[in-house]
Amino acid sequence: MFEPEGRFYLRIDWTLLMLIVSITGLGLLNLYSTSTSFSAPLFTQQIYWIFLGFSAFFITATIDYRFYDRVANVLYILGIISLVAVLVLGRMFFGSRRWLNIGPLVIQPSELMKIIIILTMAHYVHVSPPKTDEGRSLQELVIPAFLVGLPALLILIQPDLGTMMILLLVFFSIMFLLKMRIRSLLTLAGSALVLLPLIWTFVLQEYQKSRILVFLDPASDPTGEGWHIRQSMFAIGSGQLWGKGFMAGTQSQYQFLPAQWSDFPFAVWAEEWGLLGSVLLCSLYFVLIIWALRMAVTTRDRFASVICLGVGALYFWHTIINIGMVMGLLPIVGVTLPLFSHGGSSMLTFMIAAGLLMSVSARRHTL
Amino acid sequence: MRRLVLSDDSEFGRKYRYAFVFVVVVFLILVGRLVQLQVVYGAEYRELSRSNFLQQISLEAPRGLILDRRGSVLAKNRVAYNVFITPRFFDAKAFRKLQDLIQVPQIDLDYIQSKILLAEGRKRGFSLLALRDVPKEWVLILESNRDHLPGLDISTQEKRQYPNGPLASHALGFVGEVAAEDIARHPMEGYRERDWIGKYGLEAKLEASLRGRRGSLWRVRDARGRVKTGPEALRWLPRPFHVPPQPGYNIVTTLDADVQRATELVMAPFESGSAVLMEVDTGKIVSYVSKPAYDPNELSGRLTSVRASELYNHPLHPMLDKVVQGTYFPGSTYKVVSAIAAIEENLAEFEEYHLCKGWYEYGRSSSFRCTHAHGLMNLESSIVSSCNVYFYMLSERVGMDRMARYARLLGFGTPPGLELNHEKSGFIPTKQWYAQKYQEGFRIGHTLNSGIGQGDVKASILQVAQAYAAIANRGSVMQPQIVERITDYRGVTVQEFAPVLKRRLDFKPETWDLLSRGLDGVVNNPEGTAYRSRLAHLRVAGKTGTAQVRAMRREPGQDPEESRWRNQDHAWFVGYSPVERPQVVVVVLVEHGGFASKMSVAPALAILDEYFKINGAREEATP
Repeated sequence: MFEPEGRFYLRIDWTLLMLIVSITGLGLLNLYSTSTSFSAPLFTQQIYWIFLGFSAFFITATIDYRFYDRVANVLYILGIISLVAVLVLGRMFFGSRRWLNIGPLVIQPSELMKIIIILTMAHYVHVSPPKTDEGRSLQELVIPAFLVGLPALLILIQPDLGTMMILLLVFFSIMFLLKMRIRSLLTLAGSALVLLPLIWTFVLQEYQKSRILVFLDPASDPTGEGWHIRQSMFAIGSGQLWGKGFMAGTQSQYQFLPAQWSDFPFAVWAEEWGLLGSVLLCSLYFVLIIWALRMAVTTRDRFASVICLGVGALYFWHTIINIGMVMGLLPIVGVTLPLFSHGGSSMLTFMIAAGLLMSVSARRHTL
Repeated sequence: MRRLVLSDDSEFGRKYRYAFVFVVVVFLILVGRLVQLQVVYGAEYRELSRSNFLQQISLEAPRGLILDRRGSVLAKNRVAYNVFITPRFFDAKAFRKLQDLIQVPQIDLDYIQSKILLAEGRKRGFSLLALRDVPKEWVLILESNRDHLPGLDISTQEKRQYPNGPLASHALGFVGEVAAEDIARHPMEGYRERDWIGKYGLEAKLEASLRGRRGSLWRVRDARGRVKTGPEALRWLPRPFHVPPQPGYNIVTTLDADVQRATELVMAPFESGSAVLMEVDTGKIVSYVSKPAYDPNELSGRLTSVRASELYNHPLHPMLDKVVQGTYFPGSTYKVVSAIAAIEENLAEFEEYHLCKGWYEYGRSSSFRCTHAHGLMNLESSIVSSCNVYFYMLSERVGMDRMARYARLLGFGTPPGLELNHEKSGFIPTKQWYAQKYQEGFRIGHTLNSGIGQGDVKASILQVAQAYAAIANRGSVMQPQIVERITDYRGVTVQEFAPVLKRRLDFKPETWDLLSRGLDGVVNNPEGTAYRSRLAHLRVAGKTGTAQVRAMRREPGQDPEESRWRNQDHAWFVGYSPVERPQVVVVVLVEHGGFASKMSVAPALAILDEYFKINGAREEATP
């Protein structure tokens, strides 16, 4: 019933599939290394989530992507409703409301919003092409800005700064890569510069500010926030060229790494597998992102193109923010490493995102 | 290869290159950072990560024991339990639990709380010494409630213990925690905070031998402080990961604990004074008493500043070693010096008599008095009756500087050589010294005063013991000795100390004979100053003495009785026994004891008596 209107070769994009499988596999291996000595059933949980994730991946990939174009508006509205619901009904954990219970399911609507916003943007770009050859003007950005601004604001209230940031980054990535007037681009960049100090003053919480300050000078607080960054850098650096070996990382095995399963798995990996393993993992992400970018250029329509762009941007920002953070290049933000981190919501989001790519990729060759 | 088809629909097409370059650049930055961390600084970070989980535990070396000559323990170690708290893990709940479990003094609670507050934001693993030397019952209670007391650790520490309390406390000394200046003074010896260091007495003198060398143990500890064993943890340990500590050497002293105890019992009635018992042939010290004593157990712990100032400012000076640091006028015990000088220099005949009218006529002054009119005195009887007039005459004849020379030969005016507690050398004046000291210069009166051990002559009781030992053994000035040998912890001798002959005095036999007769008469001749205290079963030779105390005005508010006591002279007695073949010499000084014969003779004779009794009993016990 969801067959595309035109006719295609339906061919599996093996490169994409292999990339997804490799990253997930390495993540599982990495989790195994550090989780066996702990009583929590992290490893079995992750296997369960990977299974769920792949199911979501295949279902998403099977459905023709043009179906998503049709349901984008509905999904957007559902997404907004669930974000509002989470603020009203959600349960408080660690000082923020992010999770919603629906029967036995616990979902994190802000995670799903990442996917929905990509679809929404793709839909918008698809239905409203640039009015002039010069490109899109600033007025033409008002609607998409509002479409992103609303969920971003709702997520900020939770508060979940990391997700909000990712949402905005994905949005900006799509916007910058669209055909825009030069003037609009400059205005956009200018407004970002003005916004930054305002965000610093009014949006950021004290702990977030201190994280950023500590990031700028980790030695200033060697026991508090800086301790995480330093321990993570110890882990990565001490891996040296060849690594300390599988299940032999001292920083991770002896728990000197904070949140080593969700936020710092790259440090664990780099410690045990050294520069060689780290570069390998980075390469997988690099190829995946370039693959998505390339696909954005080669697809048949604007909707598919923006999906590829959005998914690529989602992977890109998550990857570089997470890796940059564990290497002390960026402040600590709770941003996961796609398909590699332990955790159900993140796994599901990136599997669905990859499923969208696959859906596009499998249908881009005309008969 | 398929050509890349750019669809016109894709607005993105033109910027593909920029995006591609951007992604490449960002990933290159990531890889560059990886290279920087893992290759450029890799070795450094490897070290840092090792320092995270490797912990070096310092293993304390037990301090050597101090033993008496027969192996009885005078100073040893006991296990003390210290409670440490790691503020990061020790929460308010644990703090309350701690108070529920044991009766912690409020002052300690306040201390812990202030330290925890101070520690906020400090190094993560930082742990603080919360309670020192807690009772064993507390340890058991705390250990069994371990689960409710996160961040609380109990560690053991060796602590010095003196099982006999104040026995021989000035000889043994005491230990204390190293102070910052101790560490600065011995930078190469590796002292650390909370180490013990000998502060006084033998503990200080033989610190280097007693201390031992600390060992170390490396272990692997995870971020929560749990110790990891097993092959994967051992893999990281440096080799060798365990260096056992070397216990300090034991010190075998020349003291005899039984005799020491008896000596202290004899000295018990006297508030302030000192006594020393020494073997005449070897200079080995058998007992060593300075009063009032202190308890080295108290001083080796944590002394409150109030208690410390109480001890250090006490009017009777318990912190002063009166055996070597107290110097006094030797009084009549010094008369042997002019006697020897006179005979050796052929300045006196044995049968030369001199009339004592109760004072000595010299110039216009009549201040050179005797105790009473002794009548006709010769050399021997003047020693027996301690006639000042005869010795004024004799010392005038001998002269100041000749007297000083013989005094020095006997060991006066120089450190005795025990090298304990900053021994004093006393003082022997000379003509030149008086010429420099006084405007009117030297006068014969100075010589007369010196002749009877007053004026400016000063000596410690150890110097008097040394001089009389040389008289008793007929000419060997022995260096006093308190350390017999040093052994390792198994008892194998490391170093042995042979008696040291400081000087051989080649005096005429008549000199020794005269002194022997005279000193014997002091106790055993009815005319002798010590005759009344003599013991029927033990023949002792000796000499009484009185060290004049310079009259002190009564302080306002001072008890008149105490003031009278303070103005009383010090009482001396030095004696040796047996007379025919002397074995030991004893010196007793009772501060403010008044007349010698009353105060010091009896205890001195009692000490000798106890010495021979104890040794006699031992000989009988061993066939």
